[in-house]
Amino acid sequence: MDFGALWLTLRLAVGTTAILLVVALPLAWWIASGRGAGRALVQAVVALPLVLPPTVLGFYLLIALGPLSAPGRLLIKIVGHPLAFSFAGLLVGSVIYSLPFAVQPLVAGFSAVDRGYVEASEGLGVSPWGTFWSVVLPLARGSLLTSTVLTFTHTVGEFGVVLMLGGNIPGATQTLSIALYDQVQEFNYAAANRTALVLVVFAIVALLTIYLLPGVSKADGKRVDVVQ
Amino acid sequence: MESGSTLSNSPSAPLLTVQIEHWLGAMPLDANFSLTQPWTVLFGPSGSGKTTILRSIAGFVRPDSGRIVSRTQVLFDSATKVFVPAHRRPVRCAGQTARLFPHMSVRRNLVYGSGWTSKPADAMGIAEELMVSFGLKEFADRMPDQLSGGEQRRALVARAVIAAITFDGGPEKPLLLLDEPFSGLDIAARDELLVELGAWLARWNIPALSVTHDLGEAFQLNAEVIKIAEGRVVQQGPVAAVLAEERKRLLEQLNVSKGSPA
Repeated sequence: MDFGALWLTLRLAVGTTAILLVVALPLAWWIASGRGAGRALVQAVVALPLVLPPTVLGFYLLIALGPLSAPGRLLIKIVGHPLAFSFAGLLVGSVIYSLPFAVQPLVAGFSAVDRGYVEASEGLGVSPWGTFWSVVLPLARGSLLTSTVLTFTHTVGEFGVVLMLGGNIPGATQTLSIALYDQVQEFNYAAANRTALVLVVFAIVALLTIYLLPGVSKADGKRVDVVQ
Repeated sequence: MESGSTLSNSPSAPLLTVQIEHWLGAMPLDANFSLTQPWTVLFGPSGSGKTTILRSIAGFVRPDSGRIVSRTQVLFDSATKVFVPAHRRPVRCAGQTARLFPHMSVRRNLVYGSGWTSKPADAMGIAEELMVSFGLKEFADRMPDQLSGGEQRRALVARAVIAAITFDGGPEKPLLLLDEPFSGLDIAARDELLVELGAWLARWNIPALSVTHDLGEAFQLNAEVIKIAEGRVVQQGPVAAVLAEERKRLLEQLNVSKGSPA
């Protein structure tokens, strides 16, 4: 078992999930409650990693974060070293690549919250921000869990972007899925088997969390109507 | 109920002035009225535009054109592009369909609006007292889906009243907006609650604008009535004067049905 790769994978997944929660919550609320052309454009950009080959995304990020581009050179100046082929670079790539997995469940969850609850809250003098935290988010908590678990597991299973952007540096940028690839290349099927098993267990535990956790699979934010 | 002269000490500034035009599907809404009495009722048939007027005042509907002024504060003015967002308006609402927050107990629902004010502690005491007079005491710790429709409506009105009492956005109490507050309740329970509500609003000097299509409710309130039909204000005045015709017709119907039991 390659514990270095396991530890790196976990750090990457936790870091990506934490960053994406902060980014995705306001973004998803804006998409769910907004309208107009700007919203469609943002939705398309958010969904892009779903349809692009990961290698394409990884390649552009490699260029953008490296010394060949102006923003890359600026980043190198700020951070002190090139982001490509480093953990920080992996983190940036993962955040972008997993963005749709974080945002889309939240958009679906927020959209399903009856507007009547939002109006009820604002009609009592509570700001949109307060309404979001005390009404919308609790009513969409199922989608919050889905978003978190999907982001985490998707990051654990990442391959293309990590390979392009991180290279394959054991201890620095070699995650489990890439270690598995290496192990198969070396015909070390016993090790590959163990690595694959760890990844399968991750996925099953994650999915069970989504489906089994009490009160989460239940449809949240149902209308409580008197007048039908 | 006595007309509370303390509510508006300068007769030149009514509680609320509404002059709005808005297309409601194929029907033009053209509402033009002022509130001067502590309790005013918008009366009219379903689809006459009452709810849209109320929602425009609350800030949930942006009228096509016109002005809405609360005392001296402009809430909406299409000419100067003023639109105060709902949560900053000096109004507190109880909507037509019960929207108690399903993830909070009745008690937490009731004090919800006051959680963001400077006196959330006061709200707890007020809520306990209000629950007694609204017959909600035994449901305080239940979740909304464990309440009957009528109980939910009581809680909904109580929540708006507490938010109005604990309002700290200015020296005057906000205008309470009630859309069909007691629809679905039986007449005895409704009348009892109207009396309780009236007493609470008088005690705290809270002005109210309610919407109803129920003649009995309008008469029970003995309030100022604004009659709405097809998106326009037909008449405004004391209930006995404005709704005399409707009352006569209703009594005639009752007599007819008494004479020939079906």
